[in-house]
Amino acid sequence: MTAVETLLEVKHLKKYYPIHGGVFGRKIGEVKAVDDVSFTVRKGETLGIVGESGCGKSTTGRSILRLEEPTAGSIRFADEELTNLSGENMRRMRREIQMVFQDPFASLNPRRTAGAAIIEPLEVHGLGNRQERRDKMKELLSVVGLDSYHGERYPHQFSGGQRQRIGIARALAVQPKLIVADEPVSALDVSIQSQVLNLMEDLQDQFNLTYVFIAHDLSVVRHISDRVGVMYLGGMVELADRDELYDHPLHPYTQALLSAVPVPDPTANRERIILSGDVPSPADPPQGCTFHTRCPHVMDVCREVRPSFNNYGGNHFAACHLLEK
Amino acid sequence: MTKTLLEIKEFKMHFHTDKGVVKAVDGIDLSVNEGEVVGLVGESGCGKSVTSLSVMGLVPTPPGKVEAGSIQLAGRDLTRLKRREWRQVRGNEVAMIFQEPMTSLNPVFTVGSQMIEAIRQHRQVGKKEARHRAGEALREVGISRDSILDEYPHQLSGGMRQRVMIAMAMVCEPKLLIADEPTTALDVTIQAQILDLMRRLNQEKGTAILMITHDLGVVAEMCSRVVVMYAGQVVEEADVNTLFSNPKHPYTAGLLRSIPQLDKRSDRLYSIPGNVPNPRQMPTGCRFAPRCEHVQSICLDREPPLFHITTGDHTSRCWLHGTEKEDVDRDSSRDVVRS
Repeated sequence: MTAVETLLEVKHLKKYYPIHGGVFGRKIGEVKAVDDVSFTVRKGETLGIVGESGCGKSTTGRSILRLEEPTAGSIRFADEELTNLSGENMRRMRREIQMVFQDPFASLNPRRTAGAAIIEPLEVHGLGNRQERRDKMKELLSVVGLDSYHGERYPHQFSGGQRQRIGIARALAVQPKLIVADEPVSALDVSIQSQVLNLMEDLQDQFNLTYVFIAHDLSVVRHISDRVGVMYLGGMVELADRDELYDHPLHPYTQALLSAVPVPDPTANRERIILSGDVPSPADPPQGCTFHTRCPHVMDVCREVRPSFNNYGGNHFAACHLLEK
Repeated sequence: MTKTLLEIKEFKMHFHTDKGVVKAVDGIDLSVNEGEVVGLVGESGCGKSVTSLSVMGLVPTPPGKVEAGSIQLAGRDLTRLKRREWRQVRGNEVAMIFQEPMTSLNPVFTVGSQMIEAIRQHRQVGKKEARHRAGEALREVGISRDSILDEYPHQLSGGMRQRVMIAMAMVCEPKLLIADEPTTALDVTIQAQILDLMRRLNQEKGTAILMITHDLGVVAEMCSRVVVMYAGQVVEEADVNTLFSNPKHPYTAGLLRSIPQLDKRSDRLYSIPGNVPNPRQMPTGCRFAPRCEHVQSICLDREPPLFHITTGDHTSRCWLHGTEKEDVDRDSSRDVVRS
């Protein structure tokens, strides 16, 4: 095996949104959507990011493309610091990094044909002439399993699965190195979901793509990822190789999350950890460990000190005081 | 002896639109016994939600029209009810909870006033007593602070809203609770809380639950019997263990194989080719035939009946289980085989 090359390195990423209020609309607080998240993505791998709604996984994904401007931290992509790029240079950089969204209908212009949607990124980046772009569009449609006549149709004429294929074709058009996919299959039915997952895996092999795959469905993430990171309330609580994470979760949150997933096997007899309460508001996150309000193993130190994100062997990272001894 | 609570027979709900007739539910049989949890599974557009809305009398007619069949709830045919009579049934004998509680709670009224309205609709009690009962119903679902009665739905989290919906549905102690994708909009840890709550209500109060979902994991954990729908028809029915260990219909089998597993990883997922058929142009013969890997010539030609598999209550709508002649159902009181 050749040495693994790091394609993307995110360090201490923070994204805070101001809360305005009072008579003068002054800033009265901050929503800490992403609070000090670090991870790396190796070339050709799929990094899965899981977490519940509001944990900051989407904001993290969008920050990589600077669709959300990070408040602090560094994002290095192929030895280039993205946070320092000018708007124009960042726009050029998005040829290398593309995004696939959850709701393909919302991300396609209803008045433009699917073909036009796929050609648009080629025009934006000035690739090819008119004829070449049309040929490329047809080629891309066949790559994602659609026919060339589909290019003449409008988004509403497609099913959800087909729209997601168009979204993927569009992301592929500029031959990116990295694709950030934000919940790409969660709006799809089971039988269609597996078609799209298989397609994404085939394309990864075919075009040597690297994926950051953001989802809330733990089974889907296990299927597609090489490594998985678990987020909770703006922070990364655990990150490890896929099988290591699912078979030997270290963090109590990961353990509870995995035990809570309904498994399609009526004979399965599992120990279930049911967490009480809701996720606290990111506008007012708890002191110390953000999970301490729901953690079954909470200790005094958890309420005071935020645990650091340490390597507990074999590149298995976790942030929990139980492990720090 | 278990008594049948809900019995849907040969029920057809069609929608007459400008562009043609949509046969959303096209001849289904389904029953729920007292105290039973039955799963109704299928993908978008298979007719599972129209089925549940029909039981609640919530399908607008027109465009909807009951073409045939009956829905018996505790011996009463719901398809013949008048508007006035529906009010007696809805919320009282059968209640429903929906996927997105925010859209089914009224944003401009407090939780308390909406619950009190529901109670006073069905019970002759004063406001004070109704408020007291509302508070009790909320405690049943694990909300112990009474102040929630004076809060508005937007002040609650998704899990809390769903709890309020369940409390509201249970307030008149219906015999049947229809839950249409009750946890689909919720996070995994909150889903576990809500499923736990529903299981407890079933066990403690004996409320029968018709659980409509696309999530086979939820079905496996909650239900004792499962009905699988495809393109407006029931394609398979079995008890939960049989369905997961020995699915007979190629659609059910394909669906089970296409779910990624949490505890083991396969290199490649199975996927059912193609898409669900257009409800305005159903294929002739078996509706699953265009996507089926076992398709034979008869499938394209004639619609299969529900065949009985072995002696149990396992039925499957597929020609693989025999020809019409040899497998006509003789022992069951239900006329399962139709042509």
